[in-house]
Amino acid sequence: MSTRINPNTLPDMVAAMQAAQQNAQTAAQQVSTGRRVNNPGDDPAAVAALVINDAQTSQDAQFQTNISDLQSKFQVADSVMNSASQLLTSAISLGTQGATGTLTAANRQSIAAQVAGLQKQLLSLANTSYQGTYIFSGTDVTTQPFSENSSAPSGVTYNGNSAETTVQISQGQSIQTNLPGDQVFANSAGNAFAALNDLTNALNSGTGIAAANTEVQNAFDQLNNQRVFYGNSLNQLQSTESFLSQDTVNLSSQQNSLIGADLTQAISTLSQAQTAEQASISATAQILNLPTLLSYIK
Amino acid sequence: MGTLISSLNMALQSMQAEQEALSTTTNNISNVNTPGYTRQTVSFEETQPVQYGGMLFGNGVALGQITSQRDNLLQTRFEQETQQQSKYSSYLGTMQQVQTLFNETTGNGLQSSITSFFNSLQQLSTSPSDTSLRQGVLTSAQNLAQSFNNTANNLQQLQHNADLTVGQSVNQINNLTSQIAGLNVQISSATVTGQNAGTFIDQRDQLVSQLSGLVDVSTIDTGNGSVTLTTSSGTALVAGNQSFQLTAQTNPATGLQDIYSQGSDITSSLTGGSLAGAIQARDQTIPSIVSSLDSLASGIGNSMNSINKAGTDLNGNAGGAFFTVPSAGSTGAASSIRVAITDPSKIAGSLNGSAGDNSNINAMIALQNQPIVNGQSPLNAYSDLVFQVGNDVSTAQSESTSAQAMVQQLQNQIGSVSGVSINEESVNLVQYERAYQAAAQVSAVVSSLTAEAINLGQTVTAS
Repeated sequence: MSTRINPNTLPDMVAAMQAAQQNAQTAAQQVSTGRRVNNPGDDPAAVAALVINDAQTSQDAQFQTNISDLQSKFQVADSVMNSASQLLTSAISLGTQGATGTLTAANRQSIAAQVAGLQKQLLSLANTSYQGTYIFSGTDVTTQPFSENSSAPSGVTYNGNSAETTVQISQGQSIQTNLPGDQVFANSAGNAFAALNDLTNALNSGTGIAAANTEVQNAFDQLNNQRVFYGNSLNQLQSTESFLSQDTVNLSSQQNSLIGADLTQAISTLSQAQTAEQASISATAQILNLPTLLSYIK
Repeated sequence: MGTLISSLNMALQSMQAEQEALSTTTNNISNVNTPGYTRQTVSFEETQPVQYGGMLFGNGVALGQITSQRDNLLQTRFEQETQQQSKYSSYLGTMQQVQTLFNETTGNGLQSSITSFFNSLQQLSTSPSDTSLRQGVLTSAQNLAQSFNNTANNLQQLQHNADLTVGQSVNQINNLTSQIAGLNVQISSATVTGQNAGTFIDQRDQLVSQLSGLVDVSTIDTGNGSVTLTTSSGTALVAGNQSFQLTAQTNPATGLQDIYSQGSDITSSLTGGSLAGAIQARDQTIPSIVSSLDSLASGIGNSMNSINKAGTDLNGNAGGAFFTVPSAGSTGAASSIRVAITDPSKIAGSLNGSAGDNSNINAMIALQNQPIVNGQSPLNAYSDLVFQVGNDVSTAQSESTSAQAMVQQLQNQIGSVSGVSINEESVNLVQYERAYQAAAQVSAVVSSLTAEAINLGQTVTAS
């Protein structure tokens, strides 16, 4: 006697139809969402990697915001230093003019007054603020960095500090974000305020004009040396920004390979699954319609 | 005796036997869709022959017995697989809800809150004295704390739901075991009197299968048709006519229900059925996830606090606690973490005391890559947790699928032994019908022969 088979095939057929339907649904979900992984349980390692990937993408976006903020700030600082540099150039030509022996004392004093005016302008430049904070006061950003002080040799007092700040602009890369004013305008290698003060005094007195002019020249050189910092920093920001843009593209492509569906394959799977589902339904319908022996017994 | 009358008797017996066989077939066909019904077969037996004149004459047919076609071994394996299948599917039911809390593929989860918090500090580092940026840090810190709170509360809710299932399952188990004890009585009394207890056994098998869906059951046949049921660790559920009720008692320490039998706590010894699945999710998996979240919240909270305390705030004062977290240990950190400061100026971003100094903010940012959560950076620790949750789901899914396939396979095997086939019953129907017709014909022939004998030598015809 042959092995008896289970006469009740319905549960198997229902299960087969459900499985086929499930496969078709999964494939349809992959096509419509474009994602192969829709839950941590679908691919635990991929979703765990996605956590890190998404965090890096978001950090990169933040770094790019930081860079754009710093670029504006650096451009303002750089333009201030550019103005200061032009101002010192004017002072040098005034000094050269004042050193000419044919000038009268009155002429020299008139030039001295112009130099004193330049010093006031320099003071105003050095006290420039950006978004409510002073650019050149070190980290003491709420204190006006330079104030007039006639008793000081340079004619001004520095009220800021010499502290520098750094900001992270990419993973593992930080950049210095300020130049303290004492370093830029009151440096021992070339103090712009003292130089202009000395030049004014020399022009008024008529003695030591050439020496004072050399002092201004030194301050000019020093200022331009410092200004290189902003130029370099802006370049660095620019190149880091390109790196971050590229990194964001890479991260996005990684994200796609982690959880994205291969659309060509997903669509082909979907059509296969749909065919299988239809076949399963059609087979079930045929089996349900099979007559039993009773139909033939008369 | 080979007499005409004995032939009539034999024809009558035969018609009776076929009629009973027809009745069994009818019963099989009637129950073709009854869950748990086991097909019955009849056996015909020859009756004792009679000796006459040194010869043995056959003396007709009798119905031997009606047998239910069942395979107890298959039934036992089916129950065992059902226990595994129910356990995984119940566990999976809870875990699929758990994984939605960590579904980073749709942006649900803590990654964005953690990253946004550190990003807001990055933003602040570019302009440390900016009050709106400081407010931004506080807002994102509150979002982070809120995310921790929500995730922990949702987990607690899921744990509570699993706990409700535990209580309901205990009631269902008690209901089933007392019904099974009742059937044990009916089956053994039928067996003792030699009756076919098939219908009762079908009912009991159905109930034991249902019980297997709830809890791990071992069946021991104690003879005379009665069974003893215990859990796999030996806790008695049913013995003969007696069922042993389980009780669910709320444990004051955890607020969750422990399961007791005869005064002893059997909660952790259950290994199968939906009850074991609910208990595994409730007592092991969810607490382990909560504990990982607690470490994460506590790691970020405490590290932020010690850095903020080392710095100077915008008003020139020493910083205080940034987050409120449990002071000792990490237990409850995720559900209770709060932002401790409301005044944006109290973020202590400066180390040298001046408003523009961002050194301490940079120290806070650096936490992102420091091993502050059980030797891991916060995001790596969180990523591991997401993997853990996903892996639990994925493992339970494949276990559940393979157990389901086994259950289906065993159902087929049981069906091949016990299931009613309409074709087979049709054949039986025709077979018994024809035999009945033949026996009826025999009685007609014998009746006619008897008439011949009665009318022997007479002119009057008896008809």
